[in-house]
Amino acid sequence: MRNRMFDSRRSVLIRNITLPVLLIVVWQIWASTLPPGSPAPAPLKVLQTLADLLSTGSLVSATLQSLGRVLLGFAVGSGLGIAMGLAMGASPAVRENLDPIIESFRPIAPMAILPIAILWLGTGTPTALAIVAYASFFPVLINTVHGVSRVERKLILAARTMGVSRWTILTRVVLPGAMPSILLGTRLAMGVAWTAIIAAELAVGAKSGGGGSGGIGQMMFVFYAYNIDLNAIVVCMAVVGVVALLIDQMFRLFEKRLIPWRH
Amino acid sequence: MTNIPRQLWVSLRSFGVFFLLWWLLHLWNANPLQLPSPMKVLEALWMLLREGEITEHASVSTLRMLLALTLAIVVAVPLGFLMGLSRRAEQYVDPLVEMLRPISGIAWLPLALFIFGVGDTLPVFIMFYVGFFPILLNTVAGVRQTDARLLAAARTMGIGRLPLLIHVLVPSALPTVMVGIRLAFAASWAAIVAAELIGAPSGLGFAIEWYRQLLMTPKVFAFILAIGVVGYLCDLGLRDLQRKLTPWAEGTGVAP
Repeated sequence: MRNRMFDSRRSVLIRNITLPVLLIVVWQIWASTLPPGSPAPAPLKVLQTLADLLSTGSLVSATLQSLGRVLLGFAVGSGLGIAMGLAMGASPAVRENLDPIIESFRPIAPMAILPIAILWLGTGTPTALAIVAYASFFPVLINTVHGVSRVERKLILAARTMGVSRWTILTRVVLPGAMPSILLGTRLAMGVAWTAIIAAELAVGAKSGGGGSGGIGQMMFVFYAYNIDLNAIVVCMAVVGVVALLIDQMFRLFEKRLIPWRH
Repeated sequence: MTNIPRQLWVSLRSFGVFFLLWWLLHLWNANPLQLPSPMKVLEALWMLLREGEITEHASVSTLRMLLALTLAIVVAVPLGFLMGLSRRAEQYVDPLVEMLRPISGIAWLPLALFIFGVGDTLPVFIMFYVGFFPILLNTVAGVRQTDARLLAAARTMGIGRLPLLIHVLVPSALPTVMVGIRLAFAASWAAIVAAELIGAPSGLGFAIEWYRQLLMTPKVFAFILAIGVVGYLCDLGLRDLQRKLTPWAEGTGVAP
């Protein structure tokens, strides 16, 4: 019995790694058939480039710069989203009046307002911040409104009967009740925000002739346009993926800590 | 019945206030290159509509999106069924999916520019990639959610494998698949702008950037408006399709 379980776990592991390993091996074999001067990326060269970029520190500093912008823009966007969501959830009048405007902005992608952001704020950090804030605003807002509307009405009425002030009801009843939804919104928003920062840095780089915006998106653009290095681009893509994964895991951990009653 | 005019009245009032604020802001800003007046934008919109420029770019973008989504559905739905039905298939494919999924479509842009060059293929590829994952994951979830009692009942009645698929599994998974398609649409419509902004000689994203470089701000605003409107209309169409295709699943489509 024990032996069989061990066996099946091992075969699952083998199945799990089959395709990724096959992909990398085929890619390496394909790359080694190319003439030596070819710019095509290859797994071994990617690893070597990763080591180079890590040793100069440029990869780490670019990633940190992007992360800093994401966190700042996310804080602004989600702060606004939570405040407005609470107001809209608490007051039908506010919700009714703001809904048409919000719903008409929602289908406009963050990248679509990038040209306007460049016109207003130039090609530096403020533009990237604005795009990230805009991108993270909507998921947080919508999930906050949804969360507030799901708070049990009886709880609010009970608190009111006991003469609790409106502010206390908001912070002690409504906010904890809406918390699961709000946290879901912030996790979604952070995912969108990370995508948006890459897009913004990439596009700002592409459209301002490589102007100094910095960050990992800009780094990718430089490797694309100036010192053409596809291996480095693949390294950047992998970093983008790993950071996205880490951010997501971190937010799931937060969710478990902050709302233990849901797990 | 009286609700509809009231809703309309509220919307009109909100938009009235919005446009008034915009107009005041434009007076205060006093730089038409940064913030044109709402009237200028409407005028530009009307001009672009009359000359057919908006419809031209919008139809290019919409066609690309349709092509990409169709490709994504054709690949992701069968794969999703396979992964939902067979643990073994899932064990093979899932790690690859989870490896690629966190890499956003946008991050593929530089590499894809090298492979495909500037043109139609690049935005279609990016949108396919972005739309693929929501459809796949929702299909797998939909197949898994199939009521085990339904499957058992069908098997007891001696149903074949293909009829089981067509009459039990597909109707049961379809609502979730449709939600996946709507999510895929939203994601790929957001990505199209970035893809066309950088790597296409036509389409709505290209037009926005083109007029920004010419500093024709009213037209930039008009095209941004067009992106919002086309996105909204497509979502309405998809919701309608959802209602017609899966009338038994009222309510699954409200996922925000």
